[in-house]
Amino acid sequence: MIYPPPLNLVQFSFLAISEQYLSILTQTPIRLINYRFRYRSPPPFREIDDLSTAIESSPILFPCHFRAVFVNFDPNSYTADQLSISVQAHMAKFAAKNSPACGTCASNVTVSVTLDSNSNCISNGNNVDWKCGALNEFKFAEKHEDGLLDEDFASLLDNNSGAKVYTVVAVKTEQEEVRAVVGKYRHAWIMGRIFEEEAIEKIAEIFVNVFMNGGKEEGLIHGEFMPLGADGRIVLSFNLLNADPHNWIYDWDFQEIDENLLSPVIDALKPLADVSVESQVLYHTPKSSFSFWDDRLDSYIFSTKDLPFFVNSNEWHLDTSVAAGGLSKILQFVVYVPSAKECPLQLQLPNGEISTTNGFISPMWGGIVVWNPSACLTDSKIKHPLRYKISSEDSRKLFEVFMGQLRQLFGLKSDGLFVGASGTSILLASERGFSEWELDVLSRQHSCFNLLQCGTTLGSLSRLVQSLPRMIIMDDIGKQVKYSLEAARLTLSNALLGIYDASAGMFYSSAIWMDCN
Amino acid sequence: MFKCCLHSQLQFRSETSLESDHLMGSREPIVLIFLILISTYESSAKGGIAEELNEEFTEGLLLRPLPDRKVLAHFHFQSSVPPTRIYGRHHHLFPKSIYQLVNKFRVREMELSFTQGRWNYERWGGYDPISSSSAKPPGVELWADFDVPLDQVDDSWRNLTHALSGLFCASINFLEHSTSYSAPQWSFHSFAGKLRYGTLPREAVCTENLTPWLKLLPCRDKAGLSALMDRPSIYKGYYHSQRLHLTSDDFGTAKSNAGTMLEQTLTVVLQPNTLGARAMVSGKTLQPSWSLNSLFGRKVHGKCSVSKSSNVYVQFEQNLVSELKEVRKKSEAPESGILIHDDFGNNTIFEMSASPDRVVKEVENLQKEDSSILLEFLVEDYNDSKPFDLGLRWKLPVVWSCQQAPLHASRFLMGSGNERGAIAISLKSLSSNNTPTVGCCEKGSQLRINIFQVVPWYVKVYYHTLKVFIDGELQSTMENIEKIHISPSEDKVSPGVMEMILRLPCGVITAALTLEFDKGFLHIDEYPPDANQGFDIPSAVVSFTDFQASASFEDNLLNKLPILNELQERKHVISYTEVLLVPLTTPDFSMPYNVITITCTVFALYFGSLLNVLRRRVGEEERRLKSKGDFK
Repeated sequence: MIYPPPLNLVQFSFLAISEQYLSILTQTPIRLINYRFRYRSPPPFREIDDLSTAIESSPILFPCHFRAVFVNFDPNSYTADQLSISVQAHMAKFAAKNSPACGTCASNVTVSVTLDSNSNCISNGNNVDWKCGALNEFKFAEKHEDGLLDEDFASLLDNNSGAKVYTVVAVKTEQEEVRAVVGKYRHAWIMGRIFEEEAIEKIAEIFVNVFMNGGKEEGLIHGEFMPLGADGRIVLSFNLLNADPHNWIYDWDFQEIDENLLSPVIDALKPLADVSVESQVLYHTPKSSFSFWDDRLDSYIFSTKDLPFFVNSNEWHLDTSVAAGGLSKILQFVVYVPSAKECPLQLQLPNGEISTTNGFISPMWGGIVVWNPSACLTDSKIKHPLRYKISSEDSRKLFEVFMGQLRQLFGLKSDGLFVGASGTSILLASERGFSEWELDVLSRQHSCFNLLQCGTTLGSLSRLVQSLPRMIIMDDIGKQVKYSLEAARLTLSNALLGIYDASAGMFYSSAIWMDCN
Repeated sequence: MFKCCLHSQLQFRSETSLESDHLMGSREPIVLIFLILISTYESSAKGGIAEELNEEFTEGLLLRPLPDRKVLAHFHFQSSVPPTRIYGRHHHLFPKSIYQLVNKFRVREMELSFTQGRWNYERWGGYDPISSSSAKPPGVELWADFDVPLDQVDDSWRNLTHALSGLFCASINFLEHSTSYSAPQWSFHSFAGKLRYGTLPREAVCTENLTPWLKLLPCRDKAGLSALMDRPSIYKGYYHSQRLHLTSDDFGTAKSNAGTMLEQTLTVVLQPNTLGARAMVSGKTLQPSWSLNSLFGRKVHGKCSVSKSSNVYVQFEQNLVSELKEVRKKSEAPESGILIHDDFGNNTIFEMSASPDRVVKEVENLQKEDSSILLEFLVEDYNDSKPFDLGLRWKLPVVWSCQQAPLHASRFLMGSGNERGAIAISLKSLSSNNTPTVGCCEKGSQLRINIFQVVPWYVKVYYHTLKVFIDGELQSTMENIEKIHISPSEDKVSPGVMEMILRLPCGVITAALTLEFDKGFLHIDEYPPDANQGFDIPSAVVSFTDFQASASFEDNLLNKLPILNELQERKHVISYTEVLLVPLTTPDFSMPYNVITITCTVFALYFGSLLNVLRRRVGEEERRLKSKGDFK
């Protein structure tokens, strides 16, 4: 008898052998080619690991300097050293409430205290340059405007040493009302009939919650999601959307807006980011969800729960910008001019009230303001649409809203009030959009999150390369890894010295090589 | 811009004055016209300055019946912006992305075209402005002129190709390799070394390229004439070419006020739907009747609200006009008036569904008997309740032919096999075919033809083998070439470029150029996915420098419209040749696989039988079988 050959075996061996042959025949020449054209430059694993463990093990905290000035308080009840210790204790208490976030101050803060009363002037610490008796001629009984007072304090506290010292001046006066104001620079003041203990608590709270944490509250945007590109650039793209140009066409004088309203803000943000501005006007851009008519409010209502469907990404082509490279961040700001069919359009808050700004933000994307034209209620049956220009008064209002939205996108408060455990403080708004202490907070956070990101990116690269020994790393990528490692180290050491302006700027390192991969 | 404007106005006026002088035969009208000329010049000067400070957008559509029962539709959109130093950098009409592109790469002039199908020069015309400017080679063609130092031009080009590639969803970035673009010296457009030219003949063009192109229009395809662009209707046509032409003066040292101008055109050749059998009148087929709705499946619901003007034109070509006159004479002898005085809405030969708002007549040249006619329709007066649907219905059969280029250019391959071959460019006069050509030059003078040809490096052209044949006879090469510039290809670095001005005697019937080449070998990495299809040699550009493809219209000077300007722009007559497909020696890509499978089969059979032989014991098995049998 003749048995057929075992078929399964034949097939199996055929597959196995062909696979082997394939690998031999195809892979070898390719590998040879690769080796001929590419070079391997192993990244410095040890240094990277050191860096990433250094960054990840302990949160990056910056050294901060604080100064409290007590004016007209009884010099005999407390000494300067006692006050200093007491403020520090309160600060530690406030700081313990929230876990140390990235970009806050180190726990070993220094608080220098000056006691300035009519008779004598005592201070501890060595770098105190408070001009004693400067407030002697000051008429506390009169009502002062906060802005002017702020400038007065700024000239009093002006130190040329360049170090960033946050100051709170507590002034005991005869006025019943205690007024706490945080200025546009790096100081705050408390005035009124106030006792030492109360003043100490308030000072500590301002130090910790305002100067260190930027007056943030729950629900605001977390510092990690700051809309800043890895190369430190932001493009603010302003768009005027005419939902239906058959009804009316609105235009704006953006040249004027750019020069008068935006350039101070851009100047203010310069230490933090390189901001560029662009604008466009678009037509035929309806929103993607419907609004309903409300008789009581006499307008079309768009409720909060529909907001995710407001932006119509099919029709709103806001995206293209050649100016923004792959790493820059674009923030879109949209003025939406509704069509006659849905005019006036109002945004409704969840509690049933109408939004006063008539706008909303979307974190990391930008902000939208609905602007209802005044011609809304007049007859819209015009054969040829009329062209209007948004008046400068209206555009100023619009851009005030946009500034508030920009501050919110950066995680700052836009209502100008800080409500703390020990009462409410007024936050003075700067005409430049951002006050100096706010910029400090943002720079610290930005540096910190960038360092963290850089550490994780480099660390994961090093782990990846180590786990794949056959991975080929081009020479220029190796060079960039070395460069970014160097930059990260420099930033880390700068941060420990408190130079965070410089560190914010040089953080494109982690980005660079993400680009290369 | 203003100067040039004035120049053309002057020229135009002088032409009309000549004509009227001739007609009337008196001196008074000249003086009158001169006065008018001065006053119009002044008013246009004032108007010009006021206009220059604003952005402008205009739209227009030109429809033209073609002799081969098709219809040409030419959309024209133009956005312009004053120079940045006067106007600033914030715009309300001009597309932001294009403005940024111009400024980032310092583009002085740029043209990008996406084309599908081939322009039929014989049937659709080769002499008119549209065929010279909007008939483009298949695939993508891009050229750009930069205002950067000479050593940065290549970098700018590379960045620009990448930016455009992202903007238009096309593989324009393949033009970044130095093998795929060239730097023509003088033949293509005369810019001193800062021009780069590249084509992608095999790029498929479709709606994903049209959508970003439409995004550059303020109304996109939501309103205005662009609302007609129904994708299926456009893409089922015989030819479509979308073009983007950009000129910028922002970087020039000259303080001109032209600013940046973006011109977007879409040219489609469509076949009107002829339902049922073809209509016959007295034994001849009628031209198909069409309307906007039957061509595009849509109607125009008013103009784009931000556009300055929005007009539709129907053009009757010169030959068609004279043919119409002929037909008129034959059918009704008494009413043989000049067509221009007729009612264009409804006459004995054709019927328009709407009566034109204006009739613009081309100013007659000395050589032409009749001139083409433009019927203007304003879209402004139409709206949703009364949409604009222009229709043309023929009543009598008309046969005509288009104006032809002086010579018809075509290109083909010669030779066989995978080793060598030859490229031939043939130029043929069409006058023998009973079609009226444009009057050639006078007797004794010569016809100058500019040829620009780019050949990829793997087609190794031997330029010394250049031969010139005139009327079938081999001629001495150098006698017929006025100027030639050759940059030979370099393997894997740059393509070969040939630019030449050919001088042909006037009454030439055929002329041919041949060039021999060897086919190169590519590295296995360099083969495109479907290598057996062959490799494309981009179209050659043939331009007739002695001929201007422009029409001047007796237009009201005060409202010059960009679409008419485009027709009036003085340009050389240009035609593109076909794309050549060269089969190269391609390796048998399946060979390794075949070898592997055969070897493996042999091995498997060998090992299988070997195992059989080694492991099986026949005697043992028989013994077992027997013992089984014993049990039973």
